Amino acid sequence: MEISIKKIGEEEKEYIEIGCHIRDERVDEIVRFIRSREGILKGIKEDRQYSLALPDILYIEAVDEKTFIYLENDCYESGRRLYEFEEVLSSRNFARISKSVVVNLMKITSIKPSLNGRFSCVLTNGEQVIISRKYVPDIREKLRGGAV
Amino acid sequence: MKEHLRTQLGGFFISVTLINLAMFILGLMMEPDLQFGYEAFAYPLIYGIIGSIPGLIMYSKKELTIRQTLIREVIQMFMIIILIIFFMFGRFKNIPDLIPQIVGVSISIMVIYVLVHVFGWMIDLKTANIMNEELMKFQKNVSKAENE
Repeated sequence: MEISIKKIGEEEKEYIEIGCHIRDERVDEIVRFIRSREGILKGIKEDRQYSLALPDILYIEAVDEKTFIYLENDCYESGRRLYEFEEVLSSRNFARISKSVVVNLMKITSIKPSLNGRFSCVLTNGEQVIISRKYVPDIREKLRGGAV
Repeated sequence: MKEHLRTQLGGFFISVTLINLAMFILGLMMEPDLQFGYEAFAYPLIYGIIGSIPGLIMYSKKELTIRQTLIREVIQMFMIIILIIFFMFGRFKNIPDLIPQIVGVSISIMVIYVLVHVFGWMIDLKTANIMNEELMKFQKNVSKAENE
């Protein structure tokens, strides 16, 4: 397969074009990978900065003035505030679910009522995160909105 | 606070219904021949209001853990028992003679308190099931859009 990269002017919109005989699983995989790189957040771990792809993020939590980004098995710190993440990610598949958490809706496997009068969502890594009642109408609106 | 008030209001109406039922059962068991005037209709409402007071006072802005909530609920239940016992029997001098009634009322309050939470949880379970369906549709739509 030949790969060509063409430099374009600043005024032009960046694009990726795939030339293929047939659209198969291999092409879809490339498309999925490209889409996954469309959104990236910066996270810090042990004084090193990492680029974190949005689809890999489970949730973002604010704890005592600090913000943490949680992945399946990793946790990174961020200098940004939770409300900034909420703004930036509002057009993506993320939603605020409590005063301290913004979750990736694609990483929720189920929602269930919690004993403390709230709801909790089970994430793909088995972790449970609390959903405050206050945010339930907004979450439902976002879910009903379909793909964003 | 608005959500808390809404939850309290829901609990109030369930309580009033269950208090009516408890008064009917306890009345039949303890004093089946006793007759009341129209004021008897007000008692479930008054007990419902008294039962709501601890919940309103103990409102916390913090997002409590399940353990904290359970401890709070137990304290709240005993506060309700004390308030209602005081309201019902406070004016009587011969308290030792009233112990069977006090025990009966206390047990009724505990049963009602637990049932209010069970009914609330069942309503939440229904909401959670609807949200799970919406979540599945959302995730399906997003995945479909990403693969196109």
